[in-house]
Amino acid sequence: MIKNISRTALLIALAIGICCVLYPALLWGVGKVFFPFQAGGSVIYGPGKEPVGSELIAQPFTQDQYFQPRPSAASYNAAASASAALAASNYALRSRVASVLGPIVRYKSGPRAGQLVAPDIEHWFQKDTFGGAPSIVSQWATAHGGLAQAWVSADSSHARYVNKWAASHFLDVAQFVKQNPGTPKPGAADLAVAFFTSFSKENPGKFPGVVSQAGAAAAEMGPVNQGTDIQSTFFDMWRQDNPDIDLEAVPGDMVTTSASGLDPHITFENAEFQVDRVASKWAQLSHLDQTQVREQIRRILEANAFLPLRGLAGDKMINVLKVNIQLQRRFAPAL
Amino acid sequence: MKLWIIPIGLLLAATLCAIPLSRYFAWIMDGKFRPPRWLRFFEKALDTGEQTWKSYAVSLIVFNAGLFVTGFVVLALQPWMPMNQDHKGMLAPTTIFNSVVSFMTNTNLQHYAGDVNLSNFSQIFFCILNMFLSASVGFCALVAIIRAFRGQKTVGNFFVDMWRVFVYLFLPASILFAVFFISQGSPMSFQSSFQVTTLEPGSMGTNDKGEPARQTIVTGPVAALESIKMLGTNGGGFFGMNASHPYENPTAASNFFNTLAMMLFPFALVLMYGRMLGKMRHSWVIFSVMLLMMAGTIIWSVYFDTMKPNPAFTSRAASRTYDIPDKTAPGGKIDVCKPRVAGLPVDQHLGNLEGKELRFGTSAGATYAAVTTDVTCGSVNAEADALNPLAALAPLTGMWLNCIFGGKGVGLMNFLMFLILGIFLAGQMVGRTPEYLGKKIGGREVKLVVIALLMHPIMILLPVGLFAATPWGMKAESNPGPHGFTQITYQFSSASANNGSAFDGLGVSYGFNDNPNPAPEARAWDIATGLVMLFGRYLPIIAMIAMAGFLGEKKSAPFGLGTLRDDTVTFGFLLLGTVVVVGALLFLPLAALGPIAEQLGPIPFGG
Repeated sequence: MIKNISRTALLIALAIGICCVLYPALLWGVGKVFFPFQAGGSVIYGPGKEPVGSELIAQPFTQDQYFQPRPSAASYNAAASASAALAASNYALRSRVASVLGPIVRYKSGPRAGQLVAPDIEHWFQKDTFGGAPSIVSQWATAHGGLAQAWVSADSSHARYVNKWAASHFLDVAQFVKQNPGTPKPGAADLAVAFFTSFSKENPGKFPGVVSQAGAAAAEMGPVNQGTDIQSTFFDMWRQDNPDIDLEAVPGDMVTTSASGLDPHITFENAEFQVDRVASKWAQLSHLDQTQVREQIRRILEANAFLPLRGLAGDKMINVLKVNIQLQRRFAPAL
Repeated sequence: MKLWIIPIGLLLAATLCAIPLSRYFAWIMDGKFRPPRWLRFFEKALDTGEQTWKSYAVSLIVFNAGLFVTGFVVLALQPWMPMNQDHKGMLAPTTIFNSVVSFMTNTNLQHYAGDVNLSNFSQIFFCILNMFLSASVGFCALVAIIRAFRGQKTVGNFFVDMWRVFVYLFLPASILFAVFFISQGSPMSFQSSFQVTTLEPGSMGTNDKGEPARQTIVTGPVAALESIKMLGTNGGGFFGMNASHPYENPTAASNFFNTLAMMLFPFALVLMYGRMLGKMRHSWVIFSVMLLMMAGTIIWSVYFDTMKPNPAFTSRAASRTYDIPDKTAPGGKIDVCKPRVAGLPVDQHLGNLEGKELRFGTSAGATYAAVTTDVTCGSVNAEADALNPLAALAPLTGMWLNCIFGGKGVGLMNFLMFLILGIFLAGQMVGRTPEYLGKKIGGREVKLVVIALLMHPIMILLPVGLFAATPWGMKAESNPGPHGFTQITYQFSSASANNGSAFDGLGVSYGFNDNPNPAPEARAWDIATGLVMLFGRYLPIIAMIAMAGFLGEKKSAPFGLGTLRDDTVTFGFLLLGTVVVVGALLFLPLAALGPIAEQLGPIPFGG
């Protein structure tokens, strides 16, 4: 037994020396000498020669003049990679995708081919009937209690608005407590469904949103009847009411999250889908001709497109950060 | 057609590499390699003399106990150790227990996230150390079994075998692969993280002072860990999202070799088995059966995941109502309605892209999911939780059978269980005493095999039942209905098979010890899966070494007319039949309640 223990100790000590000291040190040296760029994290530099990110790691772009990466379940946090881990049968997945689609989907055929459906979602929403029954918002909150709660928790102003409602609707709150004896002192999120039901009754065809009041310093919440919130939240319900309308399909990678949350690429189709938006914004910013800008951007895209494993493995794609840096180089000096 | 290039290329390449590799392995393990004198010095220092199978097994257990203590100390002392620039604290005690067991048993189930919870010191002195050593343990156990089968009274020396495996086999291979991974873009530094100013200032939001936030990028000795992680079929990622993270797996080429790396050793070991026993034809039969099953799981997952859209966005043309008889319900039946659903306008010609990375290629995620569970690696390059419902059956099957090449050593050992059982059943059917390698299989051997074989289903079915019925499981599920059940099933299957992949949505992470908001039932998961991993690893290993020891002691009967030939196609079908029938009988109910129910049930399921 003594022998076993001593040899165990010796073997672990040797392994520490070899695997934990020599082995990483050797590789570190190889990296330093032969692959300094890769071993250092593939850091790339922007137009001003400052490090703007890693070629391999996605970073967020929100403004219209940039190509946007795939949505990230990790909020592009490269210190905590994460996936959404949503099953196909989980409504949260469908709802997340629908909310991206609402503001960007266009008609594919018919008299309005090429136009956004977003205004029609708003019209439909203002009429306030879904599936032949009144009160869209109330139906939505009842069917998807989790989403209603998520809306309340999403922002502190939302929670404040619900609390304000609760203060003036003590009868509704009392009824909630009666039905849910487990939560004698409900918080804002607990009251989500009750709030939306009552809100929908008082404000048919409206959804709580930011209303800008003249003279008010901070943004106030109030009932609104249009805006991206409505387009996003109610696109799926609008779709269920209009199942046969022909819509332009959006590239799959544009609405699905990647496994790491840091996927630096988008498919070429996704880039083409975005190119009009990007071109018109750069044209507007740099006062250049839009068709010319579009042509130049297309050339940048073509130059950056690549096929994984030289085409053996997958479809054409581009690196979002690299393309955006080139756009910045090309057009920003003209600003 | 392009979809199949990656899987076919992988199977071909791994098979071709396995032939020379198996020759090299056998050469090393038979002690024919004469290392230079300074290396012989270490071998001599470790050598405790030839061991019987019993003392070999004792050494194996003592060594693993030593590994446990070392791992526990390294992880528990993380806050006080060097190379911790980001000041990472101590993990919760149950998580330390779970992680130490997990890495020691070659499972690498991770209830923590490497990029968030581990310092570079822990990554190197805990993860990399365990990856080299735990991979070698399974390898050595198999070599001992082979020697016992050869009728040797002594089965070699455990410590010398360990040295040979990790220094002469794993180390050179790891260096080669690591250099390739660096060339593709895996970082290799001792820095913890660095910050960059995003191209669009403020796109990451603002910090406390109202300035545009910068992006913090975690880096470290990624390439060093990545190569042994794959070669040793360990599977515990440097980053939380494992081989899907662009630093662990930067390109399509790195992904191909990443996948190939985990197949090399398990493939070669099967041929080494035949070479060391002098029965090459027999090992080719085993190899073909395994290859057939692996191809089956790959085809299954690629077909249902890459060639089918994600059903979350597709339409269902008409609603259907099903009557389910139920005595307690009014009217004697419940109506279950699958309502009509209008599809979302999403172009899904590339298959299910939710939880996939683009750069690996279209079918790479599904292929990887099948391979990683077949060879019990457990690394992932796509989110297993977001696989299409039926596609998830492929990784589950890989873990349930646990012998489709399997982990180093243990995979073949598991296969040998099915083999002995198959021969035993066949012998019962024709009324002959069953023999393997010319030795009569007696009651004692079959008992040991059945103990080892039943460990796996017991370690899956019992805890799944327990957790599915209690808040331990119900509070941890993150997806509704049957998929939540699959999450629980997957976690225990992964633990018992010593695989280590997971449906990531399951709430099993406690995080740092001072985490104010841990997953509510994380402690129960840490302890339960930790125990499952321990039993799932050591009981079969010990039982199989004992079985081989007892069998090897017997006299070899001469090859006769009535001997069951073990190198024919018929024998291959006997093996395949045994694995499929036994495996299916054990796990079909789980499959029906989980993935199949999810596919057939309403999508979306509930609110």
